[in-house]
Amino acid sequence: MVDVKLENIVKTFDGTTALKGISLHIKHRELFTLLGPSGCGKSTTLRIIAGLDYPDSGHIYFGDEEVTYLPSYQRGAVLVFQNYALWPHMTVFDNVAYGLKLKKLPKEEIRRKVEWALELVKLKGFENRYPTQLSGGQQQRVAIARALVVEPKVLLLDEPLSNLDAKLRLEMRSEIRRIQRELGITVIYVTHDQEEAMAISDRIAVMNVGTVEQVGTPKEIYESPRTEFVASFMGKTNVIPAKVVDRQGDRVTVEFESFRLDGLHYSGDSDKVVLVIRPERIKLKPGENTVSLEGKVDLIEYYGFFTEVVGIFGETRLIARTISDREVANLRPTQPVTFYIDRDDIIVLPKQL
Amino acid sequence: MRVSKWSERFFGTPLPDPVVMVSFLFPLLYLIAFLVIPVIVMLGTAFKYNGHLSLYWFKSIFGSSYYFNPLHPQGSFVTLTTYNGQEVYYFSGLDFGVVLNSIIVSISVMILTTILGTTFAFIMARYDFPGKNIMRILLFIPLLVTPFVNVVVVQKMFLPNGLINWIFYQHLHILPKPIWIDGLVGVVIAQTITYYPIVYLNAYASFINIDPSLEEQAENLGSRGFHLFRTVTFPLALPGIAAGAVLVGIFSLEDLAAPIVFQGSAIAKKLMSYQIYSSFVSGFAIGNPQMAALALVMLTIALIMFLAIRWYVGMKQYAMLSKGGRWKPRVAKPKWWQALLIAFVAVPMLLITIFPQIGVILLAFSKSWYGTWPTGFTLDNMKALITQPDVERVILNSLLYSSVAIVIIILLSLTASYASGRFKKAKLAPVLDSLATIPIAVPGIVIAMSYFFFFSTVPPFKGTILDPTNLIQFFPGAALILAYSIRRLPFAARSIAAGIQQVHVSLEEAAMNLGAGRWKALTSILLPLISLNLLGGAMLSFVYCMSETSVGITLGSINSTWYPITAKMRELIMSAVGSANLAAALGVFLMLVQITAIVLANVITKQRYSFIGLT
Ligand SMILES: Nc1ncnc2c1ncn2[C@@H]1O[C@H](COP(=O)(O)OP(=O)(O)OP(=O)(O)O)[C@@H](O)[C@H]1O
Ligand SMILES: [Mg+2]
Repeated sequence: MVDVKLENIVKTFDGTTALKGISLHIKHRELFTLLGPSGCGKSTTLRIIAGLDYPDSGHIYFGDEEVTYLPSYQRGAVLVFQNYALWPHMTVFDNVAYGLKLKKLPKEEIRRKVEWALELVKLKGFENRYPTQLSGGQQQRVAIARALVVEPKVLLLDEPLSNLDAKLRLEMRSEIRRIQRELGITVIYVTHDQEEAMAISDRIAVMNVGTVEQVGTPKEIYESPRTEFVASFMGKTNVIPAKVVDRQGDRVTVEFESFRLDGLHYSGDSDKVVLVIRPERIKLKPGENTVSLEGKVDLIEYYGFFTEVVGIFGETRLIARTISDREVANLRPTQPVTFYIDRDDIIVLPKQL
Repeated sequence: MRVSKWSERFFGTPLPDPVVMVSFLFPLLYLIAFLVIPVIVMLGTAFKYNGHLSLYWFKSIFGSSYYFNPLHPQGSFVTLTTYNGQEVYYFSGLDFGVVLNSIIVSISVMILTTILGTTFAFIMARYDFPGKNIMRILLFIPLLVTPFVNVVVVQKMFLPNGLINWIFYQHLHILPKPIWIDGLVGVVIAQTITYYPIVYLNAYASFINIDPSLEEQAENLGSRGFHLFRTVTFPLALPGIAAGAVLVGIFSLEDLAAPIVFQGSAIAKKLMSYQIYSSFVSGFAIGNPQMAALALVMLTIALIMFLAIRWYVGMKQYAMLSKGGRWKPRVAKPKWWQALLIAFVAVPMLLITIFPQIGVILLAFSKSWYGTWPTGFTLDNMKALITQPDVERVILNSLLYSSVAIVIIILLSLTASYASGRFKKAKLAPVLDSLATIPIAVPGIVIAMSYFFFFSTVPPFKGTILDPTNLIQFFPGAALILAYSIRRLPFAARSIAAGIQQVHVSLEEAAMNLGAGRWKALTSILLPLISLNLLGGAMLSFVYCMSETSVGITLGSINSTWYPITAKMRELIMSAVGSANLAAALGVFLMLVQITAIVLANVITKQRYSFIGLT
């Protein structure tokens, strides 16, 4: 039973603070993803969990045991490096067997376990190759096998798919998911690709310059972002700066340009807000609880199955994503258009700096 | 375990780690004990007069025209004189006093080696012509180090009846009268021929490493020929060339072989290195504070050159950092006039510069050498290497000292390179890094003198086998091994540091993450991956230990039973007629050792044999 707890982890490098007090609770057997833009501190967090770096302050627990300053080799949190870090002077077999040999297991058992791990990553028969004789995807699978074979308490994956082509990436993504389920291990996964994070994770932590902005299931993060940053980082979205002009309980009326939208849900303090609207929630037909915006068509982008209509409302551009039907096909740039949005689909968030 | 602030500050690891601490402390303490403190202790005497702190000894140097005479140089650069009844031009050089003479010689050698080395490097890097491979092999010959005897051959080449006059006066009639090169000019010529390969190798590497697209872009914009070279190629290669030139300048400053061989002409003795050396061997002047002051002057000049080039190269390389994979260097066919220059200027120059090594072989296989060519073929000298007990003895001594030294060097450079390469944030890392490379800039004679003073006066060593004044017990081998391990450390350290840099740190982290302790990660991952660099560095250092001169002919010459090869060679060339031939045989032996090391390095490590650079 290994759950991983991080409490207020702070880490600075030469005066710049990479982690500004991160707290996370990763549950047993969970596939937990750290998601965020480049440089936000994902790798640093992972390295601290692996014991390759130590925090300036804060605590890390595996279960009830504090491991903050436990050396990496006693920790059992095995990292699969972004560059795989395969040892070029060892064969695939020796790479995978390395951790087992350190445990001084009998030869026969080592052979059996290596075989099992290579089978798991579908690399049986490659035992005697050297890493340089493998493709990128194969190398990555060796790296995963090398980590899995020691039966780690926690498996840490640092952007493991970033060097692969799109097709292999999809394949490996489901491989990782399958292996994690099969072995029932806790996996912490790092990526800056939100789509990948959504597809693979049980829960996601969205990070931004050294802080965690939100933790939740992919659905929660996507549908109920709690900050402007999370909202805009999770896929293509419309973000409109606006001002609260009237409040009735937790219902507000907001204003942007010359548009007024009433009856929106908002419980924040600040009157400076942003409206977050997912493109697929904007309709071209009115519904029961909709507000409407009248403007002009700016651009139409055809993506096959769906079409994106960019409307212009005063100075503000909004993207609507809709099924490619006949009605859309008739739209032309500069024609007038009305966007309809269900009030519950407009997320009002305090404006971030 | 708890984190510790001091461990993080000084060693770069928050958790105190014995492997890391030893990696920092062993080389650091060793270098402090056997380089820093001895030099400081000796130099301390330079600032003492009658028991007081004083600049007296420096004033005595710069106030005496013997040492410092910038305004009224003595002698003349060239005079007409007679040699065996024939009028010849005699070149010996002007005497500006010991300090300035050394500086002038050093600068002259830097300029000449730069011209020679850069020219050959450019030809080899950029032109493709028939016979290029032969030239490549020939260029390899001057790299072979044969202390003293190569200078003996240079001296013979430039006598009025020597090879140069035989060609250019007697046969080609280019010279109006024969020339005779001696004195400081002789020292400059000998050092130029000996050291230009260092510039050549540095310059060659620089030319090869220029990203061709940089030149192509300039050509694309209309730059061609010499303009292209002057505005793009040369500035880009300059840091490498300058590093090689400065290294040569330092070597020239501390060189003893050329002044000793040319000491028949009094002016050749008026160099800092020779003055310190002669005060040392004449015995009574040991511990002479004036010589300590002179040593400090020499050390200061060398260190300034060294630090300046390190700063300059570091700065430039940062500025021109150009990312990219392997590229095909630009190679062109020479135009007709370039081909003529190569054939009739470069090739003859090359042949002249490889003649000393050939001459050493001729000398070793001959009975005597008075005129242009040696006479009387004999195998006796070579046979003496394995039959004459005193000669055999020095070979075994040198092999012993060098082998022990190389073990120490490997341990030092492994630990130092690991510590300063892997824990860059540690406060001690830059200190260690500098200390491990600085021996290049410390003249050997300064080390010899400091050791003498240090071991004979400072308590833990006084009266032990390291104490040269303890005539009964003194074992020169111990002092030599220490000196070798310091002086030749940078050669191996650089090679190993380069190896460590090439191994990404994540390879070790992956091992530690999988359960290996730091020691295990070091031995199972890092060591196998840098084994080739280790081997290359070890062989290079070994070769240079075998031919170490300054300490060998001072501390190493105190007891003839324990002579290293170079001490014997010096003794031989200074003694009776005919012994130089035996010295040459020892030179041939050293060449064989070097060739073996180079071939091994090539076969086993597939690396190109290379000299040290400063970067
Ligand atoms: N060893 C280090 N020395 C100095 N600064 C560092 C070091 N490692 C990380 N940083 C800094 O800490 C911050 C976080 O880096 P980190 O590598 O954790 O980012 P990341 O989220 O993994 O980014 P990426 O997606 O680009 O891999 C960055 O600003 C980075 O420059
Ligand atoms: Mg990263």
